[in-house]
Amino acid sequence: MRPSAVGLDSGQRSQCGTDRGVVISHYAFGVPSPASQSADNVEQAFAGGDEDALRAAYELYGALVYTYCRRSLDESRAKDVTQEVFIRALRNRGQYKPQKGTLAGWLIAIAKNRIIDNIRAEQRHEKRRSEADLGEVAVEAQVDQAGDRMMVAEALRCLSDRPRRVIAMHYFDDLTHSQIADRLSVPIGTVKSDLRRGLLQIRRQLESVHG
Amino acid sequence: MDEERAGRTDSAIEALLRDLDAAELELIDPPEDVWEGIESAVQAAEDAPGAVIALEFRRRRVWRIMLSAAAALVLVAAGVAAAVTLTRDDPARVIASAELAYDPASFDELGAQARAGAELIAEDDRHSIKIVDALLPSPEAGADLEAWLIQPDEQGNVAALVSIGLVDPGDPGPLDVPVGYDPSAYFVVDISIEPRDGDAGHSGRSILRGPLLDA
Repeated sequence: MRPSAVGLDSGQRSQCGTDRGVVISHYAFGVPSPASQSADNVEQAFAGGDEDALRAAYELYGALVYTYCRRSLDESRAKDVTQEVFIRALRNRGQYKPQKGTLAGWLIAIAKNRIIDNIRAEQRHEKRRSEADLGEVAVEAQVDQAGDRMMVAEALRCLSDRPRRVIAMHYFDDLTHSQIADRLSVPIGTVKSDLRRGLLQIRRQLESVHG
Repeated sequence: MDEERAGRTDSAIEALLRDLDAAELELIDPPEDVWEGIESAVQAAEDAPGAVIALEFRRRRVWRIMLSAAAALVLVAAGVAAAVTLTRDDPARVIASAELAYDPASFDELGAQARAGAELIAEDDRHSIKIVDALLPSPEAGADLEAWLIQPDEQGNVAALVSIGLVDPGDPGPLDVPVGYDPSAYFVVDISIEPRDGDAGHSGRSILRGPLLDA
């Protein structure tokens, strides 16, 4: 068991894309989660060419993209790549189809390619400068994996409160379905459906990146 | 691979979940100047209709250089013969191509070992430039390769130029020709090293250049 392994403080707010801290809550019910609706609206507005949608998309997913970049790049390059991701997204927004995936996943897919290109360019430059063979580095796999983990975390942020807590209890604290049902005073079927819903949400986010 | 990853099993997703730790759930706020850079790039593009948005869009300025003497002779005599009127139904086709060359007298030495060609592609109602047969160097940290279209004057000077976007050395192009720019007038392709210094103009550090000629 990993007790409170993910910082399961009470009262943490679920907000797709915008949470700045720990997102899983063990204890608090009834905290509204308006962000999924908000995210849907932004996705539609962005795809529809709304002039204000870039700012809204940045407010929702700027931290997600920047954090992903920082996992692989220094601050300066992470800032550059984050800017480039949103500028490219704006230029190519006609290619974004909300029905095929989430905006978060689409942005992460753009970011993934830019991060890989950035790392490879730097490696080529270092190699030329040092005239040493640095060898092949599995850049793509590492960045890819980091992107997947970002999207799993993003999927959790997008869940409403109870399913998110059910997932935390099951996967982080290793509680059984029955134990979760007892603690939350809900039928075991509800626990199972919450878990199922959570996995589907994660799958959707991952498909947005790799689909 | 992506198909496999997209269609991964519940157990694979569960493994990802179990493997997460607290640090991975925390997001880092981007510094304020990240949005300011995006906003200024978008604003610059709106101020210059048709221009391609470039990373850290640099301030445009009057910029004139002498093309190399040899190139100048070619430029005044050649180029894409006529403006191409395109319609929605036009299939993609190469209508002009360029051999890009390094000029040791005036270009950045990073281009000495570089090589590339360029193709002007017409499709539907738009043009794009595809960098082909490229062996391009990676610039120093904090700089990018950028492609330009140049309109030369009768003496072979640069009369005007427009950025068509950043060039990834490992995967160059295609790059859209901005709407409103006629490739029969802007028919010289230039690749330069552009420091991320906030200046929208050409750095003067070209590595390759050549005129588009009718295919």
